[in-house]
Amino acid sequence: MKILSAALLALAAAAAVAATFLPLSELLIRLTPDQPQTAYVTTGWATHFGGTKDEHGPLFGIPAVAAAAVVLVGIRWRKVAFAGAAALAGVTGMLFVYLLNAISFHKQGNITIDPGLEAGFGNGVWVLIAATILAFGAVVVHPDD
Amino acid sequence: MIGRPTAVALIAAGVVLTATAMVLPWYSTAYAGNVEVVVRAWGTEVVNKPGDWPAGELSPWYGLPVAITAALMIAGIWVERAALAGAAAQVGAVGITSVLVVSERGHAVEQQGDFAIGFGLLFLLIGTLTALAGAIAVQREPA
Repeated sequence: MKILSAALLALAAAAAVAATFLPLSELLIRLTPDQPQTAYVTTGWATHFGGTKDEHGPLFGIPAVAAAAVVLVGIRWRKVAFAGAAALAGVTGMLFVYLLNAISFHKQGNITIDPGLEAGFGNGVWVLIAATILAFGAVVVHPDD
Repeated sequence: MIGRPTAVALIAAGVVLTATAMVLPWYSTAYAGNVEVVVRAWGTEVVNKPGDWPAGELSPWYGLPVAITAALMIAGIWVERAALAGAAAQVGAVGITSVLVVSERGHAVEQQGDFAIGFGLLFLLIGTLTALAGAIAVQREPA
């Protein structure tokens, strides 16, 4: 059980860190009918609109990596693993709510520019949710301190 | 060891501070023409909204995850480790809020806006740390 929980916690932490490098939200918009689609992509470390980087884009990766680090430390102590999983859940929950609003805002604000625009969550969000579930699963099989 | 009653009191104080944060402004940016964007836990208010303001509703439901974490902290009275789960999750949620605030401040300064942190965010930060201290302490105390 000790090895299984350690492996699951390590996998959860790795998945949470990997999620920060994947797209968290994506907007594909055609600014003029004759132009190709421009991608507006947010990851945990940068926000790009086409080839332009937002210099003040939110660094969601920082709290996600911090929570992943606590999850990793939890290999040694069950209570720490539990707190880490909960912190990861808090990061994921707040990020999900923020992105849900941002995606909705982008859709409503740009629908007149391009009625065919596509906006939604990126794979990073689903990986982050999976990492959270995995972390809680590891806590369940974690032997007592 | 600070004693179980003190630890529980810290969690309670954290919940009260968090609840207060839910009704106070978190941050705001003032722009030219007396336009002000005020962000709270349950929505964004645009004072003197200009005609060319982007369409769409700016309503970050930041309060939703925080309300759940605060409820977990209260549940800690009856459910073992619920307070720890609530406090740790709230730390994570505040982490996301913090990076958002840094980002918003950067955008505001770039657009010559006057950015200000509200009491809501301060209360949320202090409440989260207080509750976390209490939740950790209560784990170290015999029931």
